[in-house]
Amino acid sequence: MTNLNAVDPAAVAQDAHLDNSDVVIGKSTIIFRRFLRNKTAVAGLVIFLGLTVFSFVGGYFTPWDKDTIDPFNIGMPPSAEHYLGTSQAGIDLYAMTVEGTRISILIGLVVGLVSVLIAAIYGCTMAYFGGKVDKVMLFFLEALIMMPALLVVAVATSGGGAGLKRDLPSWLLLIIVLLVFSWMGTARLIRSMSMSLMQRDFVKAAQYMGVPPRRIVWRHLVPNIGSLLVLDITRGVTGAILAEVAFSFIGIGIKVPDVSLGVLIGGATSQVQTFPWMFWVPLTVMFLLTGSLAMMNDGLRDAFDPSSSSSGRARRKIARLTSGQKKAS
Amino acid sequence: MSSETTTGPAEPTGSPVERLHVAGLHSPTDAVLSVRDLHVRFNSENGVVHAVRGVDFDLMPGKTLGIVGESGSGKSVTSLAIMGLLPGTADISGSVRLRGRELLGLSDKAMCEYRGNELSMVFQDPLSSLTPVYTVGTQISEALTIHNPTMSRHAKEVRAAELLAMVGIPSPNDRLKAFPHEFSGGMRQRVMIAIAIANNPRVLIADEPTTALDVTIQAQVLEVLHTAQEETGAAVVMITHDLGVVAGMADDIMVMYGGKPVETGPVDEIYYNPRMPYTMGLLGAVPRVDAAEKSSLVPIEGMPPNLLHEPTACSFAPRCPLASEACLAGEPALAPVPGVPRHHAACIKSEALGGDVDVLDIFAAPPVPASRFDAIPRDERATVLQLKDIRKHFPLTKGSLLKRRIGTVKAVDGLSFDIREGECFSIVGESGSGKTTTLLEIMEFHKDQDGEVVIGGISNKQAADSRARNAMRRELQMVFQDPTGALDPRFTVYEVLAEPLQNAGMDRQAIRKRIMELMKLVGLQPDHVNRFPNQFSGGQRQRIGIARALAVNPKLVVLDEPVSALDVSVQAGVINLLDKLRAELGLSYLLVAHDLSVVRHISNRVAVMYLGKIVEIGEVDRVFDQPRHPYTRALLSAIPVPDPQVERTRERIILKGDLPSPLDAPKGCNFATRCPVYAALPPAKQEKCRTLEPPLEAVAPSAAARALEAGPVSVPDQRFACFFPDGELEEDMLVVQDQADHHAP
Amino acid sequence: MLRYLARRGLTYLVMIFLTTSAGYLLAVSTLKPALLEQERIPRPTPEQVATSMRLKGLDPDLSPWERYVEWLTAIVTRWDWGRSPNGAYINAEFGDRVWISTRLFLASIILTLVIGVALGVYSAARQYKFQDRVITSYSYLAYIVPAPIAYFLVQLGAININESVGERIFFVTGISTPGIGPGWAQFVDMLAHYAVPTVAITLVGWGSYQIAQRQYLLDNVNADFVRTARAKGLTRNQAITRHALRVSFIPVAQSIAFTIPAIFAGGFFAEKIFAWPGVGSWSIDAISLQDVNAATATLAYGSVIFAIGAILADFATTLVDPRVRVQ
Repeated sequence: MTNLNAVDPAAVAQDAHLDNSDVVIGKSTIIFRRFLRNKTAVAGLVIFLGLTVFSFVGGYFTPWDKDTIDPFNIGMPPSAEHYLGTSQAGIDLYAMTVEGTRISILIGLVVGLVSVLIAAIYGCTMAYFGGKVDKVMLFFLEALIMMPALLVVAVATSGGGAGLKRDLPSWLLLIIVLLVFSWMGTARLIRSMSMSLMQRDFVKAAQYMGVPPRRIVWRHLVPNIGSLLVLDITRGVTGAILAEVAFSFIGIGIKVPDVSLGVLIGGATSQVQTFPWMFWVPLTVMFLLTGSLAMMNDGLRDAFDPSSSSSGRARRKIARLTSGQKKAS
Repeated sequence: MSSETTTGPAEPTGSPVERLHVAGLHSPTDAVLSVRDLHVRFNSENGVVHAVRGVDFDLMPGKTLGIVGESGSGKSVTSLAIMGLLPGTADISGSVRLRGRELLGLSDKAMCEYRGNELSMVFQDPLSSLTPVYTVGTQISEALTIHNPTMSRHAKEVRAAELLAMVGIPSPNDRLKAFPHEFSGGMRQRVMIAIAIANNPRVLIADEPTTALDVTIQAQVLEVLHTAQEETGAAVVMITHDLGVVAGMADDIMVMYGGKPVETGPVDEIYYNPRMPYTMGLLGAVPRVDAAEKSSLVPIEGMPPNLLHEPTACSFAPRCPLASEACLAGEPALAPVPGVPRHHAACIKSEALGGDVDVLDIFAAPPVPASRFDAIPRDERATVLQLKDIRKHFPLTKGSLLKRRIGTVKAVDGLSFDIREGECFSIVGESGSGKTTTLLEIMEFHKDQDGEVVIGGISNKQAADSRARNAMRRELQMVFQDPTGALDPRFTVYEVLAEPLQNAGMDRQAIRKRIMELMKLVGLQPDHVNRFPNQFSGGQRQRIGIARALAVNPKLVVLDEPVSALDVSVQAGVINLLDKLRAELGLSYLLVAHDLSVVRHISNRVAVMYLGKIVEIGEVDRVFDQPRHPYTRALLSAIPVPDPQVERTRERIILKGDLPSPLDAPKGCNFATRCPVYAALPPAKQEKCRTLEPPLEAVAPSAAARALEAGPVSVPDQRFACFFPDGELEEDMLVVQDQADHHAP
Repeated sequence: MLRYLARRGLTYLVMIFLTTSAGYLLAVSTLKPALLEQERIPRPTPEQVATSMRLKGLDPDLSPWERYVEWLTAIVTRWDWGRSPNGAYINAEFGDRVWISTRLFLASIILTLVIGVALGVYSAARQYKFQDRVITSYSYLAYIVPAPIAYFLVQLGAININESVGERIFFVTGISTPGIGPGWAQFVDMLAHYAVPTVAITLVGWGSYQIAQRQYLLDNVNADFVRTARAKGLTRNQAITRHALRVSFIPVAQSIAFTIPAIFAGGFFAEKIFAWPGVGSWSIDAISLQDVNAATATLAYGSVIFAIGAILADFATTLVDPRVRVQ
């Protein structure tokens, strides 16, 4: 089958194209264009940005806020005055959703970004030093994986007189705990990827040229795992949002009076029959949020794939598959 | 030499050669496999790729057809189309008849009747071609079960063991229970052959069966294929890119280019009287291991055609030095060569091209470059690299918590040699012999190494500070085997070439100027510097790699298999370039290669390594023409030569088994376990080989010369490590392929 | 092989010790059961609280380190995991609940694996066809729904079925109806209680297996050894089922290491939502009751489950991959 691979029609076509136009476009431009060509991914990006903007400016479109009780409208379905209705306590759902979305996005973004940063530093350090350092760090990492995160979350955020609880808002506490337990998988991935990159000939070539290690890491390692990092950020954001909802849902994540999507959904479970809007509205927002991130992730993966010809359904299908595989691991 | 196989459309020709056979005995229906007008198209995202465009041939029982072509020529697709193994999306037309029965258009199920039974195949990569989770015995038995459902379990086991024995696997009954990963590459390929011949096929297709293997193992596997063919009487289709491999075993040759056969005919005709410029170029592009005289190789410029477009002209015309207006007027058909029976060529000028046309003239091969150092005696040239007793031993440990040392792998064991200015020094040996470790030891260059490395006067023992190391890095650069892996995919060519220059502290302006110089030097267009590596072909990428190595003007360039990843025609261009650069820039090379013909072509001196030690070293022509060490002799005899006459008559030493693991290295001579001389020695002498380590000594001058030993001039530049270089060879390991084989009924 | 497993076991033992110790120290310094006691009515004096705590081995006046040493000594010498603030013995409580959890999850784990792998194979065989798209889309959907919400939705669905049928077919909470005699009635009762949680956990779990198995199989469908098998005379489908399938199980076997703990972690949610008194819901309750010993015990249990998963994965891998066997 070598024959088929050798004559790569895509490369030939690309070559012909380049002969005509002498402009060589930068890598980032190519990636950006590929991403824009993927309709699903762009839709995901638009929804996500829309929700983010909504969570910040949405509050200005209603006179109500999440702390004010409207004694005349208790448990009312959506109306002109309360766009999405009110809770059993008479608090405007729209105002709470805006607030909850903001907290959820905030948790997602902070955890997603910072955990990838920790993972990158930890993973690269392991790969770079190798040997004993690698072994010890790996042991620590696996021990952390073994810890049931949920219990620690519960311990850290649970009531009583714990000092932490008094000084920090529950969302910040949740962020810290999620951070501690979210970076290990990525770190392991980055470690193995950097290790295989270190074995690649172009890294060896740079070493033999006498290029200092710091520069090798910066110029050769980081750009080559860059796509992985970006993808892991979107995955991390999704994961953190899901975790927040899950924990808050069973009452151990964010605690009232703080509001988040998880708190809203969890608080409404007992009233699905009587106040259905209280349950379905925040649930829909959560789906939009995680769904849009999944769509973006898919498009990004496609755009980063160097062998991608960025057209044709088949390719996109494969990309989606690999993104699924990630999740399984 | 002639044969009964015909290639090309059968047409009656009454020639003297043909008359040797009973006229009319073979009508096309006698052919065991007959292919007519085979076309294969694939749908790709960029359009329809027309991978095979009209292949015709008839394969007679017991005969061998060699299909030769480079990657992309459609040779493998042809074989898969015959086997019915192409994906369902492939559009196949034409006719494939196996003993008169049409195979094309059969369902997958119907094809299974033939596959593995009358028609079987051996694939290229033995490492991935066996299912890792089943034992070898299971996989052989499966082939038997499919076509003989009634066969008893015991009978299958007996037959499987018999097959393993036939392909030369020792203690076959035990090995049946082994898994593929417990076998070496060569052994796995033997298993593949055993599976293929399990049901005594009428036709055996071998697709590059030895490409992934070492030369000594290649010789073994080719020998097994030969035996298999004799045992089963199968006709063989041998697909290869290596003109040497088929020269000895094929009766007929079909050369493919751009999805089409461009020349077909009896083997001698193709090799001695090629009529198509592409065939001529291919033959000229391969260096010969058996030729001392230096001539440049024939480079075929350009790239293979793009099969997305239906060619409107001769597909070779863009690369052909003889192309004229007429060549562009339409694609020439495969036409009989006037006056030569059964020889067809697809070239309008085939009549004018004959055996006496000099291919070097046609392709305008560059003149042999001469280095200014060539005239200076070696002793008077400066030393650029010196190795003194380099050792690299890896501890072999067991256990992960508490490590126990269970032995030592002596990857490199006491290596000493030097390289002078303007010289190309090569290291050859099988994989596992320590060639690459040697290179790494030189490149690593640090104080704690066992042994001394001196590069441009800087010794690793003094190189404590980074300044000394950087000075050394400017003397020595490296070119890697895989041109794709050696270039950062995210760098443009400009960035690739700028990296060593920036590191050397050059300013922007100077870097720019130097990069333009380098691009010209290696024959690339300077305005391509903004491209990414994946926009270049393999040969061009290797040129970029060479340019990068030359950027800082090193004295010595280390070449690690620089052409083994390239196609034959491209390879010639890179070799010529290396030759030219050495002469023009006064470079020295340290070359590691498994292809001895390439080594012979460009080196001045050579060292043969076996299990971490040099067994023979010296001037390249001396070592290759008068090898003294039995291993060197075996290695050289294993290399197929693209010359059917030579191949048919020459004696071949087939080494038994694989390279032993360095762990089991014997106390005395490392090579004793596989040595053909040792095997034939009387026990007393064997004892010496087993217990004493032979030193590396100069070739003993004759008695007369010994008397004159005072004069150092007479000592030839050749040293070897063997006690009994003149010993008889064990007959079992000798194979002489005589012509009788080819005429056996 | 045995030696290898023993060595792996030892490594995990060290890890379990470390995580549990860390967990205990975290719990002992953040959880203060004494404060809850003081909210009881009639409000006891601080001295009374301290005495009652001391009697249960939960002396609030000792430093975390002293209590850690005491706790560890009890475990090592007497296998005594301590007592809860309400006086219950952890060992006894734990024993009951482990069985409830295990019973709940065993069926789910097996079903998740079997259904996930089977659907993965099925969808790979019908790549890009309608069935494949539906199954794979479902798996992606499962990915973006948090587990407890999915369980809750399944619970809602079961309630809806009960209501529309007008009869209570499924129990959506609890493990059994008290007072049902042994025999057929008990069996039906058990099924009615198990059905909803098992279905819920399985529905959420199989998605990732389906996607992984589908991908691994597709990766192998065009492998060289499948081509070899076809060249022997097997049809494409035979070659895939006999050769590619077996090889594609290798990575799936390796991923068991993460499923078993993942399902147990999901189990915390499941037990909470379906009101099963298993280890998961116990641990969450324990934390809200500031029960240091119970929280640590469940944490240790989680670590053990992880180690078991990892060793089982090793075992499963050696079963399907002979290359590992030899080492």
